Amino acid sequence: MARIIVIGGGWSGCAAAVTAKKAGGDVILIEKTDMLLGLGNVGGIMRNNGRYTAAEENICLGGQELFNITDKAARHVNVNFPGHKHATLYDVTKVEPMVRRFLEEIGIKILLQKRVIDVEMDNKSIKSVVLSDDTTISGDIFIETTGSTGPMGNCLKYGNGCSMCILRCPSFGPRISISKRAGVEDILGQRGDESYGAFSGSCKLNKESLSEEIREKLNKEGVVILPIPKEDINFDKLNLKVCQQYALKDFAENIILLDTGHAKLMTPYYPLEKLRKIKGLENARYEDPYSGGKGNSIRYLSIAPRNNAMKVIGIDNLLCAGEKSGLFVGHTEAIVTGSLAGHNSVRLSLGMPLLELPRNLAIGDLIAYANEQIKTKEGLKKRYTFAGSEYFERMKEKDLYTIDKKEIKRRVQRLDLLNIYEEKLL
Amino acid sequence: MIQHRIECVDIGSEYCPCHLAETNDCLICSHLQGKEFCDCNWRGVCVYQEYVWNGNKSKNLRSETVCKIEEKIEYKSNLTILKIKTSRTLSRQLKEPGAYVFLRDVKLPHYYDVPMSVMDADDMNGYIYIAYQTIGAKTKMLKKLNNEVLVRGPFWNGLIGIKYIKSTRNKNCLILARGIAQAPTLAVIRKLDRNGCNLKVILDKGKIGEIFLSKYLKDLEIDYTEIDLMKNEGKLLINNILAKETYELVYIGGSDLLQKHILSLLEKNNCNSNLVITNNEKFCCGEGICGSCTTFTENGELIKTCKSQMDVKKTVERRNMLG
Repeated sequence: MARIIVIGGGWSGCAAAVTAKKAGGDVILIEKTDMLLGLGNVGGIMRNNGRYTAAEENICLGGQELFNITDKAARHVNVNFPGHKHATLYDVTKVEPMVRRFLEEIGIKILLQKRVIDVEMDNKSIKSVVLSDDTTISGDIFIETTGSTGPMGNCLKYGNGCSMCILRCPSFGPRISISKRAGVEDILGQRGDESYGAFSGSCKLNKESLSEEIREKLNKEGVVILPIPKEDINFDKLNLKVCQQYALKDFAENIILLDTGHAKLMTPYYPLEKLRKIKGLENARYEDPYSGGKGNSIRYLSIAPRNNAMKVIGIDNLLCAGEKSGLFVGHTEAIVTGSLAGHNSVRLSLGMPLLELPRNLAIGDLIAYANEQIKTKEGLKKRYTFAGSEYFERMKEKDLYTIDKKEIKRRVQRLDLLNIYEEKLL
Repeated sequence: MIQHRIECVDIGSEYCPCHLAETNDCLICSHLQGKEFCDCNWRGVCVYQEYVWNGNKSKNLRSETVCKIEEKIEYKSNLTILKIKTSRTLSRQLKEPGAYVFLRDVKLPHYYDVPMSVMDADDMNGYIYIAYQTIGAKTKMLKKLNNEVLVRGPFWNGLIGIKYIKSTRNKNCLILARGIAQAPTLAVIRKLDRNGCNLKVILDKGKIGEIFLSKYLKDLEIDYTEIDLMKNEGKLLINNILAKETYELVYIGGSDLLQKHILSLLEKNNCNSNLVITNNEKFCCGEGICGSCTTFTENGELIKTCKSQMDVKKTVERRNMLG
């Protein structure tokens, strides 16, 4: 049996673990904190715009489980907010235990509070990973899904300092680039002004700290839009964000709150005293990051070069997914790239040709397009998501965007890829 | 690929970041080594963050304090034990295994500073106890001290493998110490005893000719065996002990030669215990600046041993390589 080691328990790591397990791998998932899902514990937006198409494609490919969970954990479905349609907002306070239980049920071994800090190499193959407690875990194939966020020094140098986000670096230790340890240089994302990295794009307010009126509206409709006082409107801030799908005029002129259990505030950070000037937010306080009045985490400083089958270029037995694999934004993007990497890990262990998703699927096109763009200077300044910005426009142009489930199934079937992730290869 | 992992004993303390940060020579932080991105393995508040918050400056150096010598016990064969009055804060800081201070006569220039392990610390009343052997120029001048001594500290890197002492609980531990290296051993014994460990203590008078820990061990109700560790009888005893029992931790207090000798015995007995040894390098400033403690690992990496915690076997291998 092939031993697959997944490093990083965010959405992409969980997705990779699931498809690797389904393909017959013996899967160990290593996570540095005490919770799976990483930034998925504070996100919550699914199925908005082209993400709907991508989610349905992944379901048809056989990677339905995690989308079923986020659908089941939804607080609101079919929500519209500026620039975004038919979003599902999952409850961030409920989803992690659901995912953890599911992974355990299907026999994935989860190691929590274990942090990979190094690799032992045999020429161009990873033999084992070294944990911070000096133990080693050997494997046949490794999948790196450590993301690209933090650690503290990066958040300080390229942001406004540690904002105490869900990754909790001071408690659980810094993210370490495994591909770099294995000898492959990282690729770095840039902002418009060519500085490195980008801010995470949203923060969370404690819902109980908001006025009753806002709370009720959030609970009922999922969205609340509040105009920002004219003197506080700041268009420049849109350039800071990683989530370019939300870098719209509406987001500069308004406070847009979404109900994901907490009240998701669609801006990287917002000074508390300014926030409290807005009606209904007089008593507002941050839930994530704790210092959301001052800053947010910095991302995109650690991307591995890869091919379109998600294999890291230069290392024989390392795959990657999620933000580690490109300038991707979002849970859906993490899950779909993770699903492909997990499936391919078992193929790689068997010496089979790796699966590359064709570009007439949105997932295949995003993976290939982001890979083309990252090689260009301008491309490093962009983010790639089904939910908006440049890529959603491309999806519409290429006629890849649809919310017709039957049509999506027909497309996957026509490519002879229906339920390919369900095939047990071992 | 495996990088040699060192840890700075001062990281996260009130003395971090130190002046090595100002010159881009921090042992841990990649930003403070002049690199662009994070690449450290520290699991606490970020050194770089502390540095920036401190106005891009290092924090304070250790202070020098004139302290009263309350008691001086001189043994035959060059052993002296000093009881020194300090602040309660300093004695508390020096209660940890591996703690050391620099001592010198107030009237002498700074290059007479001599590093001394803290044998015992009474943080209720503010005393530290130092046992030293008179050997060279610095210790001979210490011998002339009357009522006062200049104390610079606290420093903590007197042992390599400190993390194992802190983390070992309710396990069998083997403690071996010879000669003047009994001094740093007392704090190790106290800590492991507090951690509920079952201690097998073997002491060797060595050149000092005294088991000066005996009264402390009696107070702690810990038995010890006395033997010459460098002779055949010592070897037989250790072989016998290792054949009967497995040990989570083995501590070796003594010279490079003793450490090498014991490590080879452990190896022959297939003993995979966590290792703690006394740090035998020569320290002059204790702040990573003067270079006297600097050594190189086999792959050429520079190590400032007054601050760095590293793999015990690598430390001893290197010494053997040089020796």
